[in-house]
Amino acid sequence: MGEGAATMAAGITFGVTLAIFGFMGWLALPLLEGETLSTLFTSVWNPQGGHFGIRPMIWGTLAVALPATLIAFPVSVGFACVATHLAPSWARRPLKGIAGFMTGIPTVVYGFSAVFTLVPLIRRMAGQGSGFSILGAAMVLALLISPTMILILINAFETTPQIWLREFEAMGATPEETVWYLIFPVTTPAMVSAFLLGLGRATGDTLIALMLAGNAVLTPTSPLEPARTLTAHIALVMAADFESPEFRSIFACGILLYLIIFGLTLMVRYLTRRPCP
Amino acid sequence: MSLWKRLLIRYGSFFVTLLLLSGLFFFLGHIVLKGGNTLSPALLFGEVAPMDALLFKERVFEGLFPAICGTLCLVLLSVTLALPAGVLTGIWLSHFARGRAKRTLTLCVDTLAGVPSIVVGLFGFSFAILLHTLTKGRIGPCLLIAALTLAVLVMPGIIRTTEVALSTIDRGTRLRVSAMGATPVQAIFHVYLPMAASGIFRGGVLALGRCAEDTAAIMLTGVVVTAGVPYALFGRFEALPFAIFTIASEYTGPEELARGYGAALILLILCGGLFGLSACIACRFRSIKR
Amino acid sequence: MKITFDTLTFRYGTHTLLKDISMEVPQGALTALTGPSGEGKSSLLSVINHLWQPEDGVRITGSAVAQFKGGAVDLLSPHLNLPLLRQKVAMVFQNPTPLPFSIFKNVSLPLTFAGIRDQKKIHQRVERALTRAGLWDEVNHRLKHPAATLSGGQQQRLAMARALVTNPEILLLDEPTSSLDAESRNGIEAQLLELKKSCTLLLVSHSEDQVDRLADRIYRLDQGHLERQG
Repeated sequence: MGEGAATMAAGITFGVTLAIFGFMGWLALPLLEGETLSTLFTSVWNPQGGHFGIRPMIWGTLAVALPATLIAFPVSVGFACVATHLAPSWARRPLKGIAGFMTGIPTVVYGFSAVFTLVPLIRRMAGQGSGFSILGAAMVLALLISPTMILILINAFETTPQIWLREFEAMGATPEETVWYLIFPVTTPAMVSAFLLGLGRATGDTLIALMLAGNAVLTPTSPLEPARTLTAHIALVMAADFESPEFRSIFACGILLYLIIFGLTLMVRYLTRRPCP
Repeated sequence: MSLWKRLLIRYGSFFVTLLLLSGLFFFLGHIVLKGGNTLSPALLFGEVAPMDALLFKERVFEGLFPAICGTLCLVLLSVTLALPAGVLTGIWLSHFARGRAKRTLTLCVDTLAGVPSIVVGLFGFSFAILLHTLTKGRIGPCLLIAALTLAVLVMPGIIRTTEVALSTIDRGTRLRVSAMGATPVQAIFHVYLPMAASGIFRGGVLALGRCAEDTAAIMLTGVVVTAGVPYALFGRFEALPFAIFTIASEYTGPEELARGYGAALILLILCGGLFGLSACIACRFRSIKR
Repeated sequence: MKITFDTLTFRYGTHTLLKDISMEVPQGALTALTGPSGEGKSSLLSVINHLWQPEDGVRITGSAVAQFKGGAVDLLSPHLNLPLLRQKVAMVFQNPTPLPFSIFKNVSLPLTFAGIRDQKKIHQRVERALTRAGLWDEVNHRLKHPAATLSGGQQQRLAMARALVTNPEILLLDEPTSSLDAESRNGIEAQLLELKKSCTLLLVSHSEDQVDRLADRIYRLDQGHLERQG
């Protein structure tokens, strides 16, 4: 009986994973008929005029998520090095604790705080616009995804075999040399997966972009301009009438996001699978 | 290694660490400073007497009480839904799954763990539409649907912590338990699960925190600005993170803004407290093992 | 209560751990198995309570039959009721590793597995097992304490109590005293001499002295070959 229950639960998990995709596909299906589909990948979003292009949102997602990950990655690598090898040993545990604690901080709190601190700051520094911009969103998003990456990196850095570490110590290597010549080369796959998972989190985050990026439907050209991401787009287009093509088109965004995450997951799995003995 | 490179690695790392920490303290410090002043009974209950609100005698409009109640109901309901399914799936993965089935399911769990919460929310919303059509408009987005959606969101975490907690039980213990005459199922439910209980409990606490903070998924599945204290599983509800979100974009005056800071601080304390609890469990677990 | 092996060969992957073993473990006596350290002796024990798995790459040929009160059992049959077999053939391992539960639960678990629900009966059986293992007087006032609080020697006697609680007909002991000090060892040896009146014992030990002190019959295993020594 126990085994039956466990198998059933596994079946539910499997089913839910497929169902998320299936439901979105089912609701996006009417898009295939009619003219909506042809306008879907154009850059004009004008629901009244029958244009449902989501290309600006795809660019918006890229423009916010990629810089955020590019900022967060070196920061995370540096932090993980400090927390595992470079800091004096009394400081390592508190640093790891802070990284763990940061994973638990609500996204909306970061967003709320940034709306009243970072956004006015950017407005004043830029001297133009509202301050709701790609720059602000990417910076806060970098802060948000760093702890996830840091924890993966710390975990990888710490599973480096003790024998090698002792051998390096015996050779007279400084901590910096150990990090550069031993830790980085042996943990390269883990570092790449940390990057990819961070990118996944940045792509999937809704609140930061929704609260800070300004949400204008524009193909972004400068970091001080506003942008709308796919996730924010889904949150914004909540038409009450769920038969409208406008509403259908957000399921296309959902499917796109799902596929991006699935692709990233596959890549991470490929990188972290155990090497054949 | 040249001195320059050494110094670059060392001070570069320390610099980015400080950068991250100062960013963290900048944003959180702002909330703590501004929110600290607003903490008072009026923040929670507005002009209603606290006792009347707590006993549900009078409805609170100007306070955070209904949103806190909504978040608590939501969090408890979703973790109650997610725990059995998550723990059982974890058991299946660590004890019964073999070969291809196991690989497929771990891929599912990994994918599910990465799916953005807004997409999970979209799934919850489509599910609500389905129910809406099936019940001829009687059921729409509501507390139960939102809880189900959040349950889907936190299940991968629970599955993983369960699997990890079960897989730390060593071969020697397994041999001893088989030698006592336990069937595989008896061994899991009488020995391995109790042994892994603190790890699983910790996963549950982390899931509570995740449910309390998530905004995107509930935005699509029934949260509203004013609904009062949750009264039914099929009713609309308020939630703390959504209140913070709406205040940030639609506040009308300094009073409402102050309420936003208060709400952010409360949510921060709630999530921080849950994280601290899970860290305590992990710490105690480690000291017992030694 | 008698065990008979005939031309038994035990292969693990490409290793042959036991070759053409023929031996008889008589009823109500203590049979000792000695020899240099290696995996052979423990493998021989694992044949008797079927604690090996074909999935691990283990292949066994020959015959191994145990004569229980209820009749003979082919120990190599793939259709054995393993939980039932292990209630009749209990085992004490080399290192005492109590499970992270109370003393009482550590001893009563095998009864739970055997499907016994009656609390009164469980209490009686646990008390009897702890008495037979010589531990009752030391722990009866703190049965609810965690088993990890016991000393090494007490933990090993706890493992014996756990093995005895199902009233097994055969008790397998895999170097039960090798991790203990002399005093605890003497205590366990005294209990073993007491136990062989009611139970068939098979003791693996690399200590010649211990074997001489306790055993009624001695087999020596060397390089996978077995010979009787006394």
